[in-house]
Amino acid sequence: MLELDIEVPRRRFSVAVAFSVGVGERFALFGPSGAGKTTVLEAVAGLVGPQRGSVSLAGQLLWAKADGRRSSTQVPSWRRGVALLRQEPSLFPHLSVQANLTYSRRRSGTADLGRLVNLLDLEGLLDARPSDLSGGQAQRAALARALASDCRALLLDEPYAGLDAALRRQVTALVRDEVDRRAIPAVLVSHELAEAQAFADTLGVIDEGRLLQVGTPHEVVLHPTSRRVAEVVGYQGFVAIDGAIVGVHPERVRLGAHPRMGPVLSGRVVRARPAGTGFEADLSVGGAELTCRLEAGIGSPGATVEITVIDPPMFRPDGSVVSQHREVLA
Amino acid sequence: MWVALLGPVIVLLAHLTPRAILASLSAPGSLGPLAVSIEASAVALGVLVVIGTPLAYLLARERLPAPRLWEAGLLVSLLLPPLVIGLLLVFMVGPATPIGEALSKIHLSATNTFLALVIAEIYEAAPYYVLGAQAAFAAVDRRLEEQAGMLGDPPGRVLRRVSLPLAAPGLAMALATGWARAIGAFGAVIIIAYHPYGLPMQIWVTLDETGLASALPFALVLLVVALPLPLLAYGWSTRARARH
Repeated sequence: MLELDIEVPRRRFSVAVAFSVGVGERFALFGPSGAGKTTVLEAVAGLVGPQRGSVSLAGQLLWAKADGRRSSTQVPSWRRGVALLRQEPSLFPHLSVQANLTYSRRRSGTADLGRLVNLLDLEGLLDARPSDLSGGQAQRAALARALASDCRALLLDEPYAGLDAALRRQVTALVRDEVDRRAIPAVLVSHELAEAQAFADTLGVIDEGRLLQVGTPHEVVLHPTSRRVAEVVGYQGFVAIDGAIVGVHPERVRLGAHPRMGPVLSGRVVRARPAGTGFEADLSVGGAELTCRLEAGIGSPGATVEITVIDPPMFRPDGSVVSQHREVLA
Repeated sequence: MWVALLGPVIVLLAHLTPRAILASLSAPGSLGPLAVSIEASAVALGVLVVIGTPLAYLLARERLPAPRLWEAGLLVSLLLPPLVIGLLLVFMVGPATPIGEALSKIHLSATNTFLALVIAEIYEAAPYYVLGAQAAFAAVDRRLEEQAGMLGDPPGRVLRRVSLPLAAPGLAMALATGWARAIGAFGAVIIIAYHPYGLPMQIWVTLDETGLASALPFALVLLVVALPLPLLAYGWSTRARARH
């Protein structure tokens, strides 16, 4: 199990988070750019020193420091057994792909390496230099190197940036399987919700260095505990109704009045455009502008429409949650 | 531009005849300074590599206290005219100084000896080598070193397996510059190491005693001896950078 409770000072704010990740558990830290996600991973990997707190892995204390005191425990990064895969593959440019894969001194067995090479489709690239690889190939090689290092925890920092959608799905599935098979804790940080949801059992929402909510991905997205969490996970419109503020997620809107599903709003079409297999429209509702995705077109700009916001979270003006709409109905 | 930079070399070649070269180089003892220069410069470069490379790495990674102060120290020795460095070395390691007295107790002297020549060359070449090596290490992506650490390498192994190989092309260039500065050192040398003659001193003394025509062949020898290492380093460095 990976357990951390740390405070790391940064220029604008301190990153102060506490959470634990069990063996075989996949935890995603999701938040906007600059929220402090990478700092958390670097603290676990031993690349930055927290001001106070503790980090432990598999029962071993990796870092412990009381506020204002010198570090009492510090296991250096090379003894932690933590693999960190970053957005940039960081392959050693002077070594072949093969030499990169076998770089770690804690390497898992040859058979395991062969299996990873096969799974990540690297067979024909082993003699190549990193400079000869495409972005996707380099990222796959870096992932293979991290997994071949027989690590005790896997940290992934926006690792799929260079991969196309199909390859992302394939690699995400592979990483999930590997984490299960090795029974190690894994932490992914991402500013893309879909990526975090596809990976994680548990999702933590971080903003300005604070962990705002932790739960299952479904729970966090459908039941945000504050307006800020709702904004971070994609609620784009907030409409005042009867003293409460309704959070509107673009994908949880239905055309027409369906009062049993949620509050019905009436608005004016500002603009509409095709999006995926349906349409995306910006509506003006009671002075607020909100975006919604719908299966059918809703007419030209200026038209008046009714929409139902499906079971939305409702907030007080100070941003704290009141309840879900369904609970209000009950 | 290139031709303009090479102007002095072109003039040197234009003023030399095979007969003049032979006459100068076949004079008794004329090749002794060549051996002295090569030996002293090799020793100076060896000292610089052993001491200057770790210093350059620590400066590049800002692991020394007050790193700007260390850099300023190097820049000051770069800014001082070599002649002044020679004068200051007399005050630092001359016979009447504590260091000079300590050296004399083990029968060494840092004036007008081979040791003095090595010291003068080290002080003239050090800033060129250390600042060049520092730039070479600074160009190595720190994340690669961190990655090597996370893959289980302690700092010493990271240095050997990642930092040094990646900095090697830049280090080779710094080494070439240091070599050129050491073998061509004159300003500090004339103050504390008039004897034994290295090539620059030989050129000066020959010029003083027998004139320009006799001195020029030694300048050619200096060029021929000093040039291969920088050329090799430049060629290797260019190829190594292309491979990465």
